[in-house]
Amino acid sequence: MIDFVLSKKQQELKEGIHNLGKYVIRPMSLQMDRQHEVPEPFLRNFMKLASGFKSRDLAESFGEGPAVTPQKGDKPGESNRTAAVGAEELAWADAAMLLCMPGPGLGGPPVRATGTTEQKQRFFGVFKDMENGPLQWGAYGLTEPNAGSDVAGIRSRCRKDGKHWVLNGRKCYITNGARAAWTVIFASVDLDQGRAGHRAFVVEKGTPGFFVGKIEEKLGLRANETAELVLEDCRVPEENLLGGEEAYQTKEGFMTAMKTFDNTRPLVAAMACGIGRAAYEYARDFVKDNYVLSRPIPRYSALAERLARVSRRLEAARMLVYRATYMADMGMPNAKEASMSKAAAGQAAISACIEAIEICGAHGSIATEHALLEKWFRDIKVYDIFEGTGNIQRVVISKRILEGLKAF
Amino acid sequence: MISFEPTEDQVLMRDSVASFAKTTLLPRVRETEKLRAVPDDVRQLAHEMGLGLVAVPEACGGQGLGLTTSVLLEEELGAADAAAPFGFPGPHAFAHAVLELGSEEQASAELTDFSAADAHARFGAVAWSEAKPHPTRAGFTTVARTTASGFEITGKKSFVINAGLADRFVVFAQVDEAAGWHGIGAFLVRRDAAGLTIGARHDTLGLDAAWFGEIDLAAVQVPAAARLTAPRDGEGGTDVDRFVRATARFFARQALVVAARAVGLSRYAWELAREHCETRVAFGKPIGHFQAVAFTLSDRLMDVDSARWLVWRAAQAWDSLGGDGAPAAGSSARKKAEAHALKASAQAAAHALEAAMRCGDDCVGLHGGSGFIRDLVAEKLMRDAKQLALVCPTAEQLDQLATAVELGVPLDPALVLPTPDAQAIFT
Repeated sequence: MIDFVLSKKQQELKEGIHNLGKYVIRPMSLQMDRQHEVPEPFLRNFMKLASGFKSRDLAESFGEGPAVTPQKGDKPGESNRTAAVGAEELAWADAAMLLCMPGPGLGGPPVRATGTTEQKQRFFGVFKDMENGPLQWGAYGLTEPNAGSDVAGIRSRCRKDGKHWVLNGRKCYITNGARAAWTVIFASVDLDQGRAGHRAFVVEKGTPGFFVGKIEEKLGLRANETAELVLEDCRVPEENLLGGEEAYQTKEGFMTAMKTFDNTRPLVAAMACGIGRAAYEYARDFVKDNYVLSRPIPRYSALAERLARVSRRLEAARMLVYRATYMADMGMPNAKEASMSKAAAGQAAISACIEAIEICGAHGSIATEHALLEKWFRDIKVYDIFEGTGNIQRVVISKRILEGLKAF
Repeated sequence: MISFEPTEDQVLMRDSVASFAKTTLLPRVRETEKLRAVPDDVRQLAHEMGLGLVAVPEACGGQGLGLTTSVLLEEELGAADAAAPFGFPGPHAFAHAVLELGSEEQASAELTDFSAADAHARFGAVAWSEAKPHPTRAGFTTVARTTASGFEITGKKSFVINAGLADRFVVFAQVDEAAGWHGIGAFLVRRDAAGLTIGARHDTLGLDAAWFGEIDLAAVQVPAAARLTAPRDGEGGTDVDRFVRATARFFARQALVVAARAVGLSRYAWELAREHCETRVAFGKPIGHFQAVAFTLSDRLMDVDSARWLVWRAAQAWDSLGGDGAPAAGSSARKKAEAHALKASAQAAAHALEAAMRCGDDCVGLHGGSGFIRDLVAEKLMRDAKQLALVCPTAEQLDQLATAVELGVPLDPALVLPTPDAQAIFT
């Protein structure tokens, strides 16, 4: 039956995160942004509070993606939809904090999808005892100074040397790159082979020849660390080749598994909806408190229209997120829909943040503890850039709507 | 739980309507357009299928299938010919108006005979707009004056869909001339009432199959019982508040049906454009293999899909207000659910109607010169898309409604209803 009402579990998750966001996270938001970090005691407290949610859904909201891909005959779950609901609400609270949460981060999906049993145990084991031990992060290193959207163009090299692989190259814009216990690094055995020559390694912190380069200063998401990683004759043990040698024997093997990334794009889109909604709600309340109550209604009809346009554009994007995650839960291929959700949400949310500032006038651009509009305005831009730019999403969509289009 | 899966019954009905649309409507699009009416045999078929009564409650002779089923079917019709459904027999907007504004008895009395076997030429219509604003005050120029036995209505209504075909109307008129848009009322008027004449038929940009026209009312007498006062609105407040809310609901529900047709039109325009971009070769490759073209198609697909899901969501919101488990009349849960349905409908229709215009526009644009020539249907889709945006409250009016609901301010009829002194619409 067609339905758009959240399940009881989703509603509880949404309300729980909303209250945490409102009373715990948002009051810290500006300070974290200015200090370029989320304090560790705060992260620990938040993790304790979050453990009150019984399911894995919250962990999934941190971008790990679902643990299990539904098989034929399985009763479909709703974990992707639930994750989208949670991700939107967390981003509504503070997007940078969400990215700082301990855990495997974007490194999780490739290890889960392609790692051997031994690798999964070893690399996910790092996160088992964060309650008593140190906080840990994973990271994902694909982008290079000269290869972003065109992944086939990466120049990092790898060659086998005895029981090790030797890696050379530079990776940039790596979320949590400096603090990560391990990073999934992509390098090529043969640049002429394009993507077929790619190999993925889990490179652990402290590996000889593996250094942290520059920590980036950014437009937004400043509380979150974005690092450059340098590999200079970095010797990685052969057991850290993700999936083992056999995963790369066929052209399809590794890349097919990587398609699980389709599940993370709608989550990034959901986060964008959360930031856009935060800005919209601020502007809406500002209009109500400052304009409507003190002036005759017709004076604000232009503002009313702007608010409505922002709201419906965000709602349209959210429906594309729900659609893409619904398809993922049903085990239906959703690459096109995942990209549609992200392309639409990124733009809708950027526009929401810009409009919200304009609606509030000068108030909108002032940074105070209660006005986070200027922060959201800075944070949101990257949601149309990371996990594939808006244009790259359109490349993905185009290839799936036009027969015979392999590349532009 | 968030679900995009229609029920088995809905899938069966949708398939059957899709097949009717493809085999009966699509091949005769230009014939219907030239005739400026739906051919009799198609009307008969549509009547037999009950297409005009899908969402009308069973108690009023309808199929009682709800708005969700209705929008699924309307999309299929719109994907073949968005104009034809306006020319199918049935009560159309009249049903939504009577159901929201009338009592149970009025709704049942006015709607039941649309389901009769011989009703394949029966139409209902709503007379709302007027061509000119009143020169000195707000509100309709058409007035309903109180008489000993009821009301006397005098004025001229414009932009009435099926004006020349309908045998019954809901006519909106000014009952309190001093109260502006807060002083309007609605009345049931039969075609054969003394003093009512059908005026000129409008020549329009698009939706040629629909009979858009005027009606003149010269001292038309109606009994007091013909007035629609929204007695079923359980939210309390003054008579005026109740009437404004019910009128907003009427327009929101009607807009959703039009929006579903717009989604169908968008889908059709998108598919035509996609096909053309795959087969038309320029500079040595299909034009779809150029990014500017492919990205445009990608953006329009986002429009088509997001519009459809928003329409479904709004329809589902209305359906959840009826049947078992619906919140009780007058309860705060009911108020909240109605507000949600109103806002969701306004958002869906505004988005779907703008999306349809973009899809029609790009369909012509991507076809290049051939899109401008009437050999292809692209030009008709573009015209129909604009016309669709005017046969229910405009995106601007719907946006005012959505924000008023969102801010929780009282609904100001001058802003949230499609008052014709600012932006007249067809009803």
